[in-house]
Amino acid sequence: MRYAYFPGCKIPYHLPQYGQATRAVCAALDIELLDVEFGCCGYPVRHNSFEASMFAAARNFALAAKAGLPILTPCKCCFGNLRHALYWLRESEPLRGAVGALLGKEGLRLPRLEEMRVVHLLTALDQGVGLEAIAAKVTRPLSGVAVAAQYGCHALRPGYVTGFANPLSPRIFERLLQVAGARTVDWPLRLECCGNPLWGKNDAMAAKLAARKLADAEGAGADLLCTACTYCQLQFDVLRERLPDQEAASQAPPSMLFPQLLGLALGLSGGAVGLECNRTPALQVLQGLCGKVP
Amino acid sequence: MDFFDTILTLSLAVCGGGLAWRAWRWSRFSLERPAPGVGARLGGLFRALVSRLGSRDLWPTLLSLVKDVGLQLHLVGRSRQRWLMHACIFLGFMPLLLFHAMDGVISRALWPGYEPTLDPWQMLRNLCGVLVLLGLGIALVRRLRIKLLRRVSAGGDWFALALLAAIVGSGFALEAVKILSPSVFERMVADYLPVADEQEIEALQAYWAVEYGVVFPDAAPYPEELVAAGAAIDEFSCASCHSPTTSAFVSYPLSRALQGSAPWLDRIRADEIFWYLHVLLFFFGVAWLPFGKLRHVLTTPLQLLVRPRATQAPPRGEDRAVRELARGFGLDACTHCGVCSVHCSVAPVFSVLGNATILPSEKLRALQGLDSAGSASTALAVLAEGSFICTECFRCTELCPSRIDLQDLWLASKQDLALREQAEPHGLMVRRTAAQWAAFFREFRPGREQASSFTEPGRPVNLTDRREIFWPCIQCTTCTSVCPVVAVADDPVQELDLTPQQIMNLLRMGLKELALGSRMVWSCVTCYKCQENCPQGIKVADVLYELRNIAAERLRPGIKTNPPRADAGEGA
Repeated sequence: MRYAYFPGCKIPYHLPQYGQATRAVCAALDIELLDVEFGCCGYPVRHNSFEASMFAAARNFALAAKAGLPILTPCKCCFGNLRHALYWLRESEPLRGAVGALLGKEGLRLPRLEEMRVVHLLTALDQGVGLEAIAAKVTRPLSGVAVAAQYGCHALRPGYVTGFANPLSPRIFERLLQVAGARTVDWPLRLECCGNPLWGKNDAMAAKLAARKLADAEGAGADLLCTACTYCQLQFDVLRERLPDQEAASQAPPSMLFPQLLGLALGLSGGAVGLECNRTPALQVLQGLCGKVP
Repeated sequence: MDFFDTILTLSLAVCGGGLAWRAWRWSRFSLERPAPGVGARLGGLFRALVSRLGSRDLWPTLLSLVKDVGLQLHLVGRSRQRWLMHACIFLGFMPLLLFHAMDGVISRALWPGYEPTLDPWQMLRNLCGVLVLLGLGIALVRRLRIKLLRRVSAGGDWFALALLAAIVGSGFALEAVKILSPSVFERMVADYLPVADEQEIEALQAYWAVEYGVVFPDAAPYPEELVAAGAAIDEFSCASCHSPTTSAFVSYPLSRALQGSAPWLDRIRADEIFWYLHVLLFFFGVAWLPFGKLRHVLTTPLQLLVRPRATQAPPRGEDRAVRELARGFGLDACTHCGVCSVHCSVAPVFSVLGNATILPSEKLRALQGLDSAGSASTALAVLAEGSFICTECFRCTELCPSRIDLQDLWLASKQDLALREQAEPHGLMVRRTAAQWAAFFREFRPGREQASSFTEPGRPVNLTDRREIFWPCIQCTTCTSVCPVVAVADDPVQELDLTPQQIMNLLRMGLKELALGSRMVWSCVTCYKCQENCPQGIKVADVLYELRNIAAERLRPGIKTNPPRADAGEGA
């Protein structure tokens, strides 16, 4: 399997461990990632300008089509916005015209709709590699760890745009966690928003939404929160120190990226998946439950 | 004091004054409050230099200066073309500066037998000149062929290319006309062969005409014996200072091309004209150094010495004064090469919005003027829009050939802009109530700045103005009841002004302006639960996005009337 790798803007500086873990897991599972110099997916600027957001997204499709590869991204917000662009490019003739003209100025062309392909990392693992193939490579199942899967809104909804999973009752994330040997917990707020999109815009609301989810995951008995989205992980790991109630925040389960967790199950070391970069003590929790992690 | 000394003194004085002015700016530039004082900065600079040049760190520092500044090895893997361009200009010009321009001080001291007209120096001078021109050629082609680079190229960029080309070009021209000139020949004979008789001079002329390419007015075929006699005199009197002119492998062919005009060139004393031109252009360059982009030859090593070595980790607990100094040096180390902008992740946003300060190279230039920008100025609002659109993807920092810590500049300048009351649309909107915004937007007419380019009705996708989209809404409140923002609000009416279904209802009635400023619109977390769950298929979350887009467009700081290219600014 070959994909054009789309890390998005936040991974290189703000969350390098996600890039590291994604590459490590893909290498272990024979997913080939080609580096293409993509631009922004358009998600952050969608508040300012729909056209700018759609052009930024479409330009990435044009670059991927030039490389003849589908896009693979570990970020659900990047995935969501790229899917939105695909939806609106299909729906709106004027948008196609405007975007095509801008692409033309750069010597690019708007690909045909069927040439514009993007998958999220979880889908590539679930559908592309397959659960059995992953299970065959799991050498250190994370038995006894209760994990709360954090779905991430922008991949999930609206389902008719993203096509990621059943938006009301998705199972893909739990399936993958179980392949890694973990026990998944059902928690009432698992499909809710992490609150990250409001940082810098309405900090109080962003914090409230995060705290509510953390308390819910803790109440459901989760040892760990698992994310598969750059922004969700930033919210529950890096930005957790900004939550007003630090006592509650520190008691809530630490957050870990899915490729970090799967990487450990595949026998990779903590260093290979960048675990030392995590701010919340996921590694300590795992060591307490499963013994020494190399 | 002769002409040369006068112009030398004058240009050095201007250069020194310019550097002092730069230093004054470095002592003040600050993106954090309170700004560190001059004493703290000097102390910090001293400590940084001592630690970097101290015994343990000396070799890594010197090595990094040679690798990163001199040879730019970090570029080789990224772009051979850019590396070649810089290497040609830098490795061509520096020897010319040190061993040709300053030959009286350096070359004669290093090599006792040095003469500019002897090989290998004569040949190497031509080689260096060719390298510089080759590098300038690559730079020119890049600026013309890479569209975005061409768009952001400013006067200062073309000027720097032209000045360097003119210095080198006038040097080649000077050498070529000197080769041709009988007047120069006569002067040399008068100086070095004062007692020669006419026969000897005639023989030497013949030899120099045939072997060295001087074009004498009576250019007849010279008999072989005469040339042979000249060769002997040349061997005795000239050869110790003169290598064959053919080794000037650019100037000599150039002199052959100019052969036809040789008498005229000698009559107007083109050798003197080009000498003045060459010297004046060079000293102009010296005087201009602190003011133009070529100052990076000084500021790049400076900022490399003081900036934190690790670019990845956000600097912690490090000397604030040094950080501000590194920022000041960094701003002045920019060569406006435009690589950051060509590779910028949000450059496509610039293509649509037209605000040049979205691009790192232009944002950096705007930051240079940040100190003097008034808090209400359009320029500041433009810079804020550009700055907040940056996604901090780190690519410009990784690519900057001057190794400027751009990421630090962007993170710090965003905080500085926030202190100056600049904000994203979200931050601006919460400063007034929904009712105030409704009144503002109802009365809203595109301002003078925006009048010519207000494009709101031209949106390719328009949901909010099509009332029929909202007719199916049955006000079932599903959108509101699934909304997590409504759920965590202690008092939704107080905190959010309107609920999602109330907004859909306003749009059904064509009352968009009433919704634009409501905090529900600006507190939407974009989770799309409303849209997913709407039984009537209304795109609730997309509609809220569109309302934000409309307000953001109306609040834009007169940007579209600016041509989408860099302001003239200073020539950097």
